[in-house]
Amino acid sequence: MYGNYDLPFSVEKEGISISMEKIEKMWLYRRTLGTDNVEKLIFGDGKHIIINPVEPVNTPKEITSNLLIEFDKPLLLAGGTRKKFFLTFPIEIGVFILDKGNKSLQLLDVFTLARQKFTLYGPVSGGIVCKRWKSGIYSVPPSPNPMQEGIMEMTLRNATSEWASISKAVFSAYGMRLYYDADVFMRARMDLRSKDTAETGFELQHISGDLRRDYPKDQITRKESIEIYNRKLDFVPMNFDMRFGF
Amino acid sequence: MIPDIELFNHSLYTTSKGPVTLGHIFQFILILSLSILISRIITLYLRRYFKDKVSRDAGETVLKFFYYGTIIIVFISTLDLIGIDPSGFLLAGGITGIVLGFASQNIVGNLISGIFLMVEKPIKIGDQVEISGTSGFVTDIRIISTLIRTYDGLLVRIPNQQVFTSNITNLVGHPVRRFEFAIGIRHSDDADHAIRLVEDLIDKESFALLNPAPSIFVSKIEESSVELVIRIWAPVSEWSPLKTKLVWAVKKILEENGIEVPFPQRVVYLHTASDQIPEELKQNPEKEIENILNYEERVLA
Repeated sequence: MYGNYDLPFSVEKEGISISMEKIEKMWLYRRTLGTDNVEKLIFGDGKHIIINPVEPVNTPKEITSNLLIEFDKPLLLAGGTRKKFFLTFPIEIGVFILDKGNKSLQLLDVFTLARQKFTLYGPVSGGIVCKRWKSGIYSVPPSPNPMQEGIMEMTLRNATSEWASISKAVFSAYGMRLYYDADVFMRARMDLRSKDTAETGFELQHISGDLRRDYPKDQITRKESIEIYNRKLDFVPMNFDMRFGF
Repeated sequence: MIPDIELFNHSLYTTSKGPVTLGHIFQFILILSLSILISRIITLYLRRYFKDKVSRDAGETVLKFFYYGTIIIVFISTLDLIGIDPSGFLLAGGITGIVLGFASQNIVGNLISGIFLMVEKPIKIGDQVEISGTSGFVTDIRIISTLIRTYDGLLVRIPNQQVFTSNITNLVGHPVRRFEFAIGIRHSDDADHAIRLVEDLIDKESFALLNPAPSIFVSKIEESSVELVIRIWAPVSEWSPLKTKLVWAVKKILEENGIEVPFPQRVVYLHTASDQIPEELKQNPEKEIENILNYEERVLA
């Protein structure tokens, strides 16, 4: 389903139906997912529709820009070491319209097939509401349904001299960089700075030798997603400072 | 008609720095007016520029300081034009301030409270608060007063001194908030099953937080029912819609699964003490009825 579509078009996959048809001088966007129906009228010479994965913090309502991934089992890492592993993350699908001159991009719709749940990171006074996802820890990339889950390559670095037990990681959507092709991919890092503080962030995708050996699929160059958050504000930090433990 | 230029050179009064002409007064008013106009334009531009980039509350505070600060600085720096020495003005201002302070204690009190409110920030623009019995959204925090839009759309102006010295309940002061409600089920219903049903329902609600975890438990065994208490945490922005939705949804899911909310009831056991009825009455029921009918006459007479 991901990709560029010229108008008019209609596509159906996994219970999602998206179409764009001309009605007199307007375009009618129609999306159906279960009982959820969205219809929008569009004036203007739309040229393309782009459907791609976006940051998973927009639905059902944009109340936070943070994603908390909880590990299904706590992970122990020795002090001063660095390890790479894989997680999954939820996917939201964004539909964008591009005008005739390819100049301006407008978000039309966001929806998801993934389970949506929120949680609080930190204490009631001063904590941060996050979208929550539970993931297994994989030493090789899993093969989830790319319409529902993506693969996150995580580099975990323990800069302390002590063993650390990690059961969750929180990420800011402002730093997310998504890539897609046959799968959806993000490359993240988490640096443990002390007993209960850490910093998380994202990196641009480039294919390393290690990754190529671990993950043959990654030899294919993926397309870069059009994101929602990194087009928004300039003054927001891209990294997330985990002050309330991990 | 050409204005008389000499008119602007006409001396109105003389100070230690020299004569003050009508032209000086005109210049002073012009500079002050221009500075007000320019700072208003810049404030408007900055407000538009920072609209989506900084929180409204922080932006408004900075803009107010900028606006009034600019005017005060221009005012003081142009006092020379009308022959007032700013240092002398400050001294005079101090004395005047004391006099005015005594004369207008409430206004000064409100002003100072307003400054403290902006610095301490117990409330922000957009917060839902309860102050002195008034509940609603804070629409503006001004130098002298705070404006609140009540839930039914009324505008209430509360002097800042009252805001600052009252107990303020900020309903959105923390990112999450808990709600609680109770529902009764019949004594014959399985409470464990009811709890599982409610847990599943809550789990399907995106905004019912996983942490802090919801709790559902039997709180009381009443005469007519077993009372279940349901406690759920939600993001403050979703607290009210979620509560409204879940109270009814819980009742529905329980009833769909055969668990009913009972009416108040009392079990009355009726005993027929047949042994105590005399033989003659047992054999003659009409006489028994007659005896009952005449009970008041016989006993209460």
